[in-house]
Amino acid sequence: MAQASAISDVSSSESNTSMGSGRALVMWVIWILLLVAGLAGLWQRFVYGHNAAGYGSYVPWGIWIALYFMGVAIAGGTFVFGAAGFILGWPGFDTKADLRLAIVLSVSAILPAFMVIWLDLGRMDRLYMVFTSATFTSMIAFNAWMYNSFLVVAVLSWLLSFKNESVWLKPLLCLGAFLSILFPSQSGVFFEAVGTKEYWNSPLLSMMFLSSALAAGAGSLLFVRVLFGGKVGASESEGDKAIRRLRVITVLALVVYLAFEFAELSIAVWRPYSESRAVDFLIQGGYWWVFWIVQLLIGAAIPLALYVISDSRAAWAVSSVLLIVGFVAARLGILVPGQVVGQIPGLQEAFQDMRLVYSYHPTSMEYLIGALMVAVGMAVFYVGRRLTVALAAKTEQRA
Amino acid sequence: MSQGKMPLDRREFLLAGGLVVAGAAAGAAVIVKDRLPGPPQDPTGEQTIRNLNVLQNVKERADEDDHVRMQRELARAMGKPVEQRHWIMVIDIRKCIGCQSCTIGCVAENKLPPGVVYRPVTTREFGTYPNIRIEFLPRPCMHCENPSCVPVCPVRATWKRPDGIVVIDYDKCIGCRSCLNACPYGSRTSDFGRFYSDGAAEGAPAGAGRALDGPRSPYEHQPNNEYSKNWTREGHASPVGNARKCHFCLHRLEVGQLPMCVTTCIGRATYFGDSNDPKSLVVELVTKNNVQVLLEHWGNKPQCYYIV
Repeated sequence: MAQASAISDVSSSESNTSMGSGRALVMWVIWILLLVAGLAGLWQRFVYGHNAAGYGSYVPWGIWIALYFMGVAIAGGTFVFGAAGFILGWPGFDTKADLRLAIVLSVSAILPAFMVIWLDLGRMDRLYMVFTSATFTSMIAFNAWMYNSFLVVAVLSWLLSFKNESVWLKPLLCLGAFLSILFPSQSGVFFEAVGTKEYWNSPLLSMMFLSSALAAGAGSLLFVRVLFGGKVGASESEGDKAIRRLRVITVLALVVYLAFEFAELSIAVWRPYSESRAVDFLIQGGYWWVFWIVQLLIGAAIPLALYVISDSRAAWAVSSVLLIVGFVAARLGILVPGQVVGQIPGLQEAFQDMRLVYSYHPTSMEYLIGALMVAVGMAVFYVGRRLTVALAAKTEQRA
Repeated sequence: MSQGKMPLDRREFLLAGGLVVAGAAAGAAVIVKDRLPGPPQDPTGEQTIRNLNVLQNVKERADEDDHVRMQRELARAMGKPVEQRHWIMVIDIRKCIGCQSCTIGCVAENKLPPGVVYRPVTTREFGTYPNIRIEFLPRPCMHCENPSCVPVCPVRATWKRPDGIVVIDYDKCIGCRSCLNACPYGSRTSDFGRFYSDGAAEGAPAGAGRALDGPRSPYEHQPNNEYSKNWTREGHASPVGNARKCHFCLHRLEVGQLPMCVTTCIGRATYFGDSNDPKSLVVELVTKNNVQVLLEHWGNKPQCYYIV
């Protein structure tokens, strides 16, 4: 009897999480636009190689690295709350349908992140070497193995969720949650471990990356739940409670991130007679507006205000999107200032070339590949949801 | 969750704990294993001895030119197994005139494409007119004792040889550019696959007398000999997409020639030799002069010394 009710819970919840036709049409239009733009970027990438990009040898990492770490953060944060909510039985998180939604969203975020980092490699044909010749003194190799271990755990958890009873599901979710907390914070270590760049040499970065992953994960889950959750129910329904819980988590994690960021920057600002060219670049350089307007105003202040003041789910969903945009800007604010500060005076002028400059201006190709990343994420999510519904129905039929 | 029900039963709890502990232990084990010193990636011992027929017929003189002396010392060092040599470079910035001969010599020797440079020379002005001074600073790879660029490579494509030279395996490098960021000296550059003749003479009439051979100049079809191999860069072949850096002209050392930047230095400001040889010129210069290294505070222990 309990088994039958569990199965019916699966199928009804699964079918509940479908969009209305109007929203679906809008999403299809957005997806096609992103895909067309992304394919144009992909064409440029393969025809002109890295020459169509804005990074060079003195600033070797650009916006793709920021997007990559954003995808990884969303994947980790989403999985943590999906798994924790399921294990702890939080209202609106405790069914297998809720769990699968979180897993599919998590995988949809990490796969395009892999794609964009693959496109960033100078030798894409040698990606496999990260698995065949890895050395774990390198944070890149360690992270790559962790992400892929996580991916395996996530897919296994998703598959096991279709079994009526599995003693392995919750233990696997615990392992996945452990990895999900570990790898976003290790993303910070990725920069901290470059010990020869003063701006990156701060243990606070790990905590900033972790709190931003939690905020981005909760925000993304909230966005998807609002998008699909028109039928979830009235204000007191479990779905509504879940959305409200995610809203609170997102706000708290965002505030924690901002507190860490303030602490990080205040060292440079208030240390007597200190000179931090990287911080100067961040707050008053050519791209000052990325920090002040995109990250702090659009990506933090407005979402915070909407989350706290508004009682509209649509406003919260919009806030989640703005939050993600803000965190991409925040990652650029870590990535770029750390690189534009050369340590050998006059090096840029010593041998002049467009790739030997201490500046970075993202190109259209890089933005278009960013669009492709979103399109691929949406496609993976769509396919993942379809597969989930189909497998859930099949499981029900079999029962 | 129904009241009183535990999130995990005992079996699930033990399995979860086991998986997490096993995962953490596996992670810690691989990190510790890779941090321990491994076997050398290069051959060592007798097989690395080179009996070079260099300057054997020229009698050694007390007042001989520094280049001749360094050449002689190079041949002597190559007569030892690789692990007994330790190459260093000494640059006397008091003698550097900023002619950029070393930069150009290096570009020509290694057929470096646009955007790739192993030895730029920086220029800095100090003071105000009429009390003014210009200082030139050649910046090769420092071949650090603790190279920060090596451990960040995810695929072991770069390492420090037993003779102290930090090298890159172009056939392994995946082009992640991690090492570029890790080097505080900016000594590594990425090969973006460009050629100096890209776009040159576009629209010029075709013909045998044309200066350019199709889209590329003839010299650009010639391979470079880095690491004693032939690298053509044709068809996106390595080192296109790779990180590249100064390797103290390893391919020249193997045949008894000094690095190109040393040979082309018209001011005799660049010295090269084996610091394990107490009679070598570089040891003499380092011990008798006031030498400094760049960005010492990072602890990389650079092996390029500047006489100031």
